[in-house]
Amino acid sequence: MTDTDPLVRFDGVRKSYGDFEAVKGIDLTIGRGEFVAIMGPSGCGKTTTLRMLAGLEAPSAGDITIGGKRMNDVPPHERDTPLVWQSLALFPFLNVKENVEFGLKMRGVSDTEAHGRAMLWLERMGLKGFEKRRVDELSGGQRQRVALARSLVTEPQMLLLDEPLSALDAHLVIRMQGVLTRLQRELGITFVYVTHSQSEAFAMADRVVIMGQGEIAQVGAPRDIFRAPRTRFVAEFVGRNNILPGAGGGEISVAADRMTVSDVAPGGTAIEAAFLSEEFAGTGIICYFEDASGRELKAQVSEAELERLSLEPGAKVWLSWPDEAAHPLEPKSIDE
Amino acid sequence: MKALLPRLYLVAIFTFVFAPIVTSMVFSFNSDRFPTVPLGGFTLHWYETAFARPEVWTAFGNSALVALSAAALSTALGFATAYTDFRYNFRWKPAYLALALLPPTVPLVIMGLAMLAWLGRLGLSGTLPGIVIAHTVMGAPFAMAICRLRLSQMDPSLEAAAWNLGASPMRAMRVVVLPFCMPALISAFCLTAAVSFDEFVVAWFVSGLNKTVPVMILEILQGNVDPQINAIGTVVFVTSMTLVIAAQLIILRKTSR
Repeated sequence: MTDTDPLVRFDGVRKSYGDFEAVKGIDLTIGRGEFVAIMGPSGCGKTTTLRMLAGLEAPSAGDITIGGKRMNDVPPHERDTPLVWQSLALFPFLNVKENVEFGLKMRGVSDTEAHGRAMLWLERMGLKGFEKRRVDELSGGQRQRVALARSLVTEPQMLLLDEPLSALDAHLVIRMQGVLTRLQRELGITFVYVTHSQSEAFAMADRVVIMGQGEIAQVGAPRDIFRAPRTRFVAEFVGRNNILPGAGGGEISVAADRMTVSDVAPGGTAIEAAFLSEEFAGTGIICYFEDASGRELKAQVSEAELERLSLEPGAKVWLSWPDEAAHPLEPKSIDE
Repeated sequence: MKALLPRLYLVAIFTFVFAPIVTSMVFSFNSDRFPTVPLGGFTLHWYETAFARPEVWTAFGNSALVALSAAALSTALGFATAYTDFRYNFRWKPAYLALALLPPTVPLVIMGLAMLAWLGRLGLSGTLPGIVIAHTVMGAPFAMAICRLRLSQMDPSLEAAAWNLGASPMRAMRVVVLPFCMPALISAFCLTAAVSFDEFVVAWFVSGLNKTVPVMILEILQGNVDPQINAIGTVVFVTSMTLVIAAQLIILRKTSR
């Protein structure tokens, strides 16, 4: 085996609970040192996929290999797949240091060595001086860092994260994203990050796996998925895309920020639509329109442009896009 | 002024509940032979004579042994039942829980008779293990209820987090689940010990010659009215109350944070 072999391989992995199929046969490889985000709406199978990787659920069919070894029947405690839980799952009856030492103690590391390694990680996570605190005396961000230290102190080759930032305030989320990307780069280990948040996935991951209804809808670099969603499901779930009829009869998607709004009909492909409302987003203003068929359209405009257009609700405008911004969608739609 | 009425009501209720017990306690220190007012002088005579009788010591010994054994068994059984409910899902779970919680609803006389018949067949009637079995059956549902309450406060990911960090299922039970449930386990132990220590009806049916304290009290009472009963009763009451209050304090302190 060489370093270029993937660390993790899913081969036709299925998971069903009675009649319900949570994961419907996924194939996926995850490389060493890669930051992969698995993203999808709730109930899409992303957490089940992560739990199978940690051994907390056994696949109903298919194989999961880690480092070339088939892991299907390996119990969780014999794996090297620490998980940062959505609830953090810190041990409430242990103090901060004892929480961080837990994994080392379970692996038979001596008390003095466990103490030393735990203290190093607490310092690294900016928690020096907190080692004797009870975990319920810490802030959300501090608890988060204790959970990270507890998982990383055993120097795993892979870290699993299950929506770890979902309980944090918005400003802390941004800061923790920075902490996580920096950690992942410094340690050079694989991160598998499950989230329903597009901004988290796209901000941190090298590669994003979009799941829907137990299947993988698309895998790719954030930019590729953002610019060229493969199916209608991805186009609707990711970014702000317009789904429009294509020239050949199929559907195309056009990102909202590639739309041009004009008050006179431009040459080439354009749709006439009535202005509905506007919404301030971080990067500009999203304007919503409705065309004659009742389809909702979105276009991102700058503040200056909005002022120039001086749109009143119901005002008719023309929306156009450059040809290269139109991406044909595959006819199959997995949310139907 | 508004709070006066509810307060009076509270005092009335507690008076109603505790007056007989307090009366018995007061008369246990009264020098007169018969429980009449006005009181005679203060004395420890009844305690001295009561605890000078070897059969009183034997009865207390039996009760203590039975209470500790039954409490240990009830707590273990109750915890195991509660953990099964917490951890696993299975088809007949509602039936399983209903069965586990059933014993306190059985009238004590019926329970005593049934125990006598059953333990008699096993050759255990009239033995201390027989009383232990009977009291375990009665205590386990209480222990289960307390453990269930505690487990319901546990993050279901907590145990899985221990496995995930390299703890085998047995080890995770020892280092995570049991420490988390410790206040409930101690509380359940105290409470089931108290239930067993002053339980009379079932013990009367199955104890035979190995009398526990409540059974012995009745035997003395059947002979004559003796202030020694008040002395013994006071010791039993203080023991049980201490256990119950300890159980309450432990569970309340842990669940409040």
